[in-house]
Amino acid sequence: MLLSSVIIILREVLEAALLFSILIALSKHSGFDLRWIGWSLLTGLIGAVVYAQSIGVVSDWFEGVGQEVSNSLIQLTTYFMLVFYMALQLRFNHQQTDLKYSSGLLIKIIMIIIAFLAITREGSEIILYFFSVTHSEDHYVAVIIGMTIGACIGISVGFLFYYLLINLTSKWAMNTGMVLLIMVSAGMVSQASLLLIQADWLPSQLPIWNTTDWLSEKSATGQLLYALIGYEATPTAIQAGLYLGGLLLPVFVIIILKYNLKKNSKPAFDFQEL
Amino acid sequence: MKQSSSLMPSRVVLLFLVFFCQTKVWAGTPIINIDIRNHLFIPSEITIPKNTKVKLIIHNHDSEDEEFESYELNREKVILGNRKGVIFVGPLPAGEYPFFGEFFPKTAQGKVIVE
Repeated sequence: MLLSSVIIILREVLEAALLFSILIALSKHSGFDLRWIGWSLLTGLIGAVVYAQSIGVVSDWFEGVGQEVSNSLIQLTTYFMLVFYMALQLRFNHQQTDLKYSSGLLIKIIMIIIAFLAITREGSEIILYFFSVTHSEDHYVAVIIGMTIGACIGISVGFLFYYLLINLTSKWAMNTGMVLLIMVSAGMVSQASLLLIQADWLPSQLPIWNTTDWLSEKSATGQLLYALIGYEATPTAIQAGLYLGGLLLPVFVIIILKYNLKKNSKPAFDFQEL
Repeated sequence: MKQSSSLMPSRVVLLFLVFFCQTKVWAGTPIINIDIRNHLFIPSEITIPKNTKVKLIIHNHDSEDEEFESYELNREKVILGNRKGVIFVGPLPAGEYPFFGEFFPKTAQGKVIVE
């Protein structure tokens, strides 16, 4: 019971912790006050409780695949919010100081929405797990210890990424953070497509390759890569295609934005390379 | 000439009929029921034909929630206590695909055999 609680909580926390650590590091580099974190945690926690409470109703939607549809919708919304965030953050880096306040506020709101969605989805699963396994009260302590260990490992990985980014110069932190965010967000598109395949909303196909022998999704590296780049050992063509699309959209947005920023104004800071 | 053109509409109708009958057979996704009782999958092994999509209906008879999970099948779904859940699986190449209940992995184990 203890080990399985460690693993399940670690898996849920890892993804949210990665996303959080990147956003916090980049907002520190941008000189934002960090009050948005509090709002994210508060709204996310409420969202998780409400979502866990209503998962029974949600599951019955669309002939029993409501869970897949709503989870993929959350993933896709998070994805588009992340693309929006990257564009806003990039523009912010080039803006004059007098314009920075209002665009900074918008970025903080977008970050709260992203974190709210991530905590709602991952948190609701943790809540369901906790109440399910502690229903019979004989392994209360083991579950709580396991969950705490799992959460601590996940948060530690988040801290690791945070300190890596915070110790870089602003320019390199922005570039590295954006690259990480692009990969995390493409992974979300891949997960969303997988859920829609599971629900039979997207056509199911035979997998195009199988890299399980090379790197299993079960392994620690597989799990980390799953959270970080959406690693999938047996993707189908549609899933791989959507992943690629999810990867390319923010890249194009950034390239176009950089081109326009370069053309229109002399940059206040030098954030040229990505 | 005249005869063949008068036959045309009925041929078209026939063609449509054949087409729709065929798609109806195709759309008939096989359904497989799996029960969860005392944190066990019953049956714990199911066999499905290769390159075929099937619809798993998982009935959770326990009062505790369970999460159907499989890395090999790329599937993950919470099945609430005393409820059922639908999961589409496949098409898959022949092989063995283990699945487990993430909330009670010690007992809730099973596999899909594709042949």
